[in-house]
Amino acid sequence: MSASILTVDDSASLRMAIRVALTGAGYAVTEAGDGVEGLGKATATRFDLIITDLNMPNMDGLTMIRELRKSPSQAGVPIVFLTTESDDAIKAQARAAGATGWLVKPFEPTQLIKIAQKVLGR
Amino acid sequence: MSSAQPASDQATSTLPDPASMAFASALTFAMEGEIFAIDAQSVREIVEVPPITAVPGATAALDGLVNVRGRIVPVADLRVAFGMDRAPLDDDCRIIVIETDLDGEATTIGLLAEKVLDVANLEGLPIEPAPALGMRWRSDFVAAIVHRDAQFVILPSLPVILSSFQGGAAAASPNLA
Amino acid sequence: MSSNDPVEAFASEALDLLDQIEKALLDLGRDLGDRGAVDEVFRGLHTLKGSGAMFGFDALAGFTHHCETAFDRVRKGLSAATPALVSAVLSARDHMRALIDHRDGPRDERLEAAGNLILAELYAAMPESAGGHEPTGQQTSAATHAPNAPGEGWAIHFKLPPGAMANGTNPAALLQELRNLGECRVRLHLDDLPPFDQFVPTECYLAWDVELHGAATREQIEDVFIFILDDMELTLTPLAPASLPGEARSGTATAIANAARPDAAAGQAEIPAKAVVRPQESVRVQAERLDELMNRVGELVIAQSRLAQLTTRNGQVDPIMLRAVSEDIDRLSSELRDTTMALRMMPVGNLFGRYRRLVYDLAQETGKAITFVTEGEATEVDKTVIERLADPLVHLIRNSCDHGLEPADDRIAAGKSETGQITLSARQAGGEVLISITDDGRGLDRARIRAKAEAQGLIAAGTPLSDAALFQMIFHPGFSTASTITNLSGRGVGMDVVKRSIDSLRGTIEIASTQGKGTTFTLHLPLTLAIIECMLVRVGDGRFAIPLSAVEECLELPQTEIIANGRRNFLNVRGQLIPYLRLRESFAVQRPADLHQKVVVVGLGNSERGSSRVGLVVDQIIGNTQTVIKSLSRFHSGLGVFSGATILGDGTVALILDCGHLIALARESQHALAEQTNGEAA
Repeated sequence: MSASILTVDDSASLRMAIRVALTGAGYAVTEAGDGVEGLGKATATRFDLIITDLNMPNMDGLTMIRELRKSPSQAGVPIVFLTTESDDAIKAQARAAGATGWLVKPFEPTQLIKIAQKVLGR
Repeated sequence: MSSAQPASDQATSTLPDPASMAFASALTFAMEGEIFAIDAQSVREIVEVPPITAVPGATAALDGLVNVRGRIVPVADLRVAFGMDRAPLDDDCRIIVIETDLDGEATTIGLLAEKVLDVANLEGLPIEPAPALGMRWRSDFVAAIVHRDAQFVILPSLPVILSSFQGGAAAASPNLA
Repeated sequence: MSSNDPVEAFASEALDLLDQIEKALLDLGRDLGDRGAVDEVFRGLHTLKGSGAMFGFDALAGFTHHCETAFDRVRKGLSAATPALVSAVLSARDHMRALIDHRDGPRDERLEAAGNLILAELYAAMPESAGGHEPTGQQTSAATHAPNAPGEGWAIHFKLPPGAMANGTNPAALLQELRNLGECRVRLHLDDLPPFDQFVPTECYLAWDVELHGAATREQIEDVFIFILDDMELTLTPLAPASLPGEARSGTATAIANAARPDAAAGQAEIPAKAVVRPQESVRVQAERLDELMNRVGELVIAQSRLAQLTTRNGQVDPIMLRAVSEDIDRLSSELRDTTMALRMMPVGNLFGRYRRLVYDLAQETGKAITFVTEGEATEVDKTVIERLADPLVHLIRNSCDHGLEPADDRIAAGKSETGQITLSARQAGGEVLISITDDGRGLDRARIRAKAEAQGLIAAGTPLSDAALFQMIFHPGFSTASTITNLSGRGVGMDVVKRSIDSLRGTIEIASTQGKGTTFTLHLPLTLAIIECMLVRVGDGRFAIPLSAVEECLELPQTEIIANGRRNFLNVRGQLIPYLRLRESFAVQRPADLHQKVVVVGLGNSERGSSRVGLVVDQIIGNTQTVIKSLSRFHSGLGVFSGATILGDGTVALILDCGHLIALARESQHALAEQTNGEAA
């Protein structure tokens, strides 16, 4: 069974880019448009990986990650966040919130797939 | 009716060359003993007469609507334009659906025909423009007359006729006072 | 969105973002302290920059970066939002739009120059841009490593930071990655395993020693641990014979720093709680597809009716089967209709939003202070109507700003506030949507309109005219009361174009104006142009459809009314006098009337206009039906009484009555009758 990935981003085009890249690599991709939707979808089923933007309306990525980590069912689920800044402060904040890793935008599809493979360990 | 048309000179001068009107392929149909012919190229289909919905207030020559394969098509009755009686429709009656250019706009219209006769080649047959005088009809309604087998075949000038309907339709509003 | 081209998706999304940015900027322009607007602008710019770079919009990303920086400073309180900044970023927003449109074009120096000019404006608008200390979010990467020498390999000791496993780090995956770099010998340390009662199952107490053989570089190994590098224990020792003393990297300091920060992080989390209104999710559908879908729906509706009729006849078909199919189609068509209709309906707010910028620009150009108020943005209208409304509304708003509102001096002299107000509002009333543009300006000048109309020969001198009729004069081609042609309204498009656009939508324009107080243009528009629910009635032999949204009630025509005909053309409905039209007479029906005639009372739904109802006397009420509206051909569209035609379940055509037209006719005939009666009395 292919790994299931939830991608949370308010930008439909970015979600599409992620979906195209990951489904092409054989992953099953579910999309959510903001943190609230992402939280809902993530807790409804357990995904193998969650990829989320940080800057989103309704609920930002950091808050979503923090909320997710509060839920015992989400322990250990890798969460990779996307950021435009290679700003260490942001990364530290996200890690403190419970993120597993990050990917700096802009990125190539191959980078995304590599990151997915990396955290999924396959 | 022809006497009411003082502009016959102008009408003849604006008519196209009668020779070009004699279509190589013409659909002929009968109306009250007269034979009409139209360019078969403009004919989209010929259908049995479906129930016609009357349009109150519209000019008598164009007071009906029919459904032709999901399209609502106005029905023109050339008999009104030519001052003929409107005999009740019988089993021979058909609606000839034509598409014609009207002021640069493709217009679909159904021509009522009492009987559809044949598709004929009218090329090379004796043809003459509509006589300015002595006709029972408005001369500008007739583009040309073709002699065939000792019969007269009327080539109606559809653009002129339809344009006159249009004016008539706008003028005649339902009696709503 | 079925397309799989993210670049196109981004281009279209970027336009939405620009609209949001513009809207937020305009909000900010009105209230410079609006934190929500600042955040919204920043987020929009941020996404635009980030995604732009993702999808190869480098010029856009580069340009947007400057604006994002500016707003980041505002957001962090390092510089203030000023009208100059708002204006500069509005210009920048337009430039971004140009950059998106130009994405496939060759390098355009003029575009670049224009961009640089805007950036200059932007930096000029940020007075404190040089000063102010930026809190360095940047924690410069602590260690600069000596370039590693490729050697035999590395002795790697590592231990995951606390919480890493719960946070999704998978040690097995890390080991696998190391194995991908070269041959590994792995040793597990259990030294830190706590006593069983203190054991936390999500915690990783293990440490590993890995001997990695091969030519892997230090960077490659650190890359494996990239996500936890700062917090973890990691020691890398070259396996080379002349091994250097072990270089340890510990994340302890950072870990402490992090531990001290949760409050800061919590503070951050509160930001979204400040009700950021999520913009209306918009669906972009290709217009052709939508039209095609509509046609299919139309066919399905007709087919369903036909099938439904078949089931009532006695054929050889198994009636039960047939009924089942019919019910299926029935359900399908109604579902399809609902979805499709919903697809087509859009809130007018999206449209209204566009005009805020227009009014902002108009205010700048005319030097008038103008407040722009919008109401009823949630009112939903058919997509086609919205699209075709865009230009007429521009003209009307321009007209109001330019001709309606007086210059500030005149306003003050007239005892009004210096700031003029333009209100754009929408609301639904029955089967109509009413959109009105109101200004609090000088009002229409009746005498001038009359003089002009008489001079142009539109009316005979001295013809008595109601205000409403007089105001309609401005819709005549070439009619303009403005003595000076200004940059704004005098652009060769007159009110006649507006009128024609609204006519083509089967709408009407009403004008109300009070001298010195202002003018209101109200557009009456149909909710949708596609499918409507109709009441089918019979008049003589003919069947006619009345839009159900206009039907208020149905009643029997009292016998007394039938007998006492004469002048009386009012019906007393519960104490209210309603004029009525006998459609039999209107349509010159020959067939004798049915004994019990019915009255269908139709109205336009706005009760303010008292006489906007009329009773239509018909022979029979057949029932309700869904109709796909087809427009009438040019031969019949001039009749006015009919707004269109439709195909009924049995395949025949029925005409749809135009209730607005009938109401107007009834009103006219009332006036005529009243005058006649007065004349006779005198």
